Amino acid sequence: MATYHLSTPLQEEDMRKLVIGDVVYLTGHIFTARDMAHLKIRGLLEEGRPLPKDFTGAAVFHAGPVALKNEDGSWRLNVIGPTTSIRMEPYADVVGKMGIRAVIGKGGMAEDTVRACGAYGYVYLQAAPGCAAKLAQGVEKINDVTWFELGMPEAIWDLQAKEFGPLVVGMDTHGGSIYASLKQAAFEKIDALYPA
Amino acid sequence: MNPNEELIRASVHDAVIRAVTEISADAKGLLEDALARETNETAKSMLSSMVENLSIAKQADKAVCQSPGYPTAWLTYGDENMPHCVKDAIAEAVAEATKKGYLRPSMVDPLTRVNSGNNTGKGVPNIEYEYVPGQKYVDFIISFKGCGAELGNAMQIMTTAKLGKNLSGLKRFILETAINAGGKPCPPYGIGIGIGGQMDVAAKLSRKAISTRRWDDVNPDPELATLETELKDAINSLGLGAAGTGGDTVCLALKMERAHTHTAIAPVCINFHCWVARRAGIRIHDDGHVEKLL
Repeated sequence: MATYHLSTPLQEEDMRKLVIGDVVYLTGHIFTARDMAHLKIRGLLEEGRPLPKDFTGAAVFHAGPVALKNEDGSWRLNVIGPTTSIRMEPYADVVGKMGIRAVIGKGGMAEDTVRACGAYGYVYLQAAPGCAAKLAQGVEKINDVTWFELGMPEAIWDLQAKEFGPLVVGMDTHGGSIYASLKQAAFEKIDALYPA
Repeated sequence: MNPNEELIRASVHDAVIRAVTEISADAKGLLEDALARETNETAKSMLSSMVENLSIAKQADKAVCQSPGYPTAWLTYGDENMPHCVKDAIAEAVAEATKKGYLRPSMVDPLTRVNSGNNTGKGVPNIEYEYVPGQKYVDFIISFKGCGAELGNAMQIMTTAKLGKNLSGLKRFILETAINAGGKPCPPYGIGIGIGGQMDVAAKLSRKAISTRRWDDVNPDPELATLETELKDAINSLGLGAAGTGGDTVCLALKMERAHTHTAIAPVCINFHCWVARRAGIRIHDDGHVEKLL
């Protein structure tokens, strides 16, 4: 298990070096996106229309912050932590086409994402779940917010991150998935515990 | 009306604010124990982050988790002390907590997905009222249960055949559900299991078990107490670990409740609760004495 300190724009070759269990700290642009933003982005891609942000080499964070509005209209981050990633599994290819190099979330994703990680060259990074106050320390500021009309959790928040982490590589570009391995091993234990 | 409406309003308000700003002491203790025992390096890192997160949130007066979860409250009352102010008191406290940044506005219409902006809405907060004849106090427990955990939940209408010999079918269903849930419910989690009634009864029992009982208690029903320990140990032996990335403890607590059912069926509901156990409970005696339950 190696530890990496990486900055955006993330490079495909660096992503391909990572293996499950490695630890990553991220500096640079992290965009939040969850169910509604992914759905909307897929619509734009299908219609061949431009995306609201340049996501090339950035990280997408499955998260919705608690943000507070300043008097001048800008936003400040209160806390932020990962939401359950499996809901975004239908967008494995969308994320690849966006040019995203790292997906940050919790709980892992499934087969389509394992395949897309290898095909497009992105990784899945596990953040510590329920640790919003700690993770917020790795965000310097909120650059801006897009699609706020979707509601605070579902909008795209452009975050300026500094040493954001620790993040554990849960799924890599080589077909590795901590979640799939653990699931398989656990199912093999059931028969010994409680024979059918 | 309760003889102490104003006291109840203030106590409920304080309990809601306490619930959203810290996790209950029983869950915190179990989390610290899990960290002390852990042998897997990744799990140690995850558990350390969780323990550290609690102190950062406390020192900085911030929310422990960005998601407010979904609020359900349990209210029991006696013959002449049903409080009328509870729904309003919760709504006011939730609105205040939302404004202060303890709770992210997250309640939406289930179909249009439009956000109400203040964490209330149709049916929210959900309040379960129970009349207990002769009770000389009011018990109020509120729980903000995370919703990633809901994605791991499972329900099955089992039968005599499906329960299996020595309940092996039931036990396999519970373990399979834990494996399929993986890291989704923010482990190390609590699990509530409701068995009996019809689907609705089992579902309500499952949430009540894990949201209202202390996570370190022992079930007064000896048969369920044995099952709770056996199943918690079995789930932990699967190796899923904190955050679902491998390790010794994926389950901090497993609580079961049962109710009689029809001879044809055995409804089983399995309900996950993330480690962020935002709960608070109080007992307000008719003489004005207030006691902390959770």
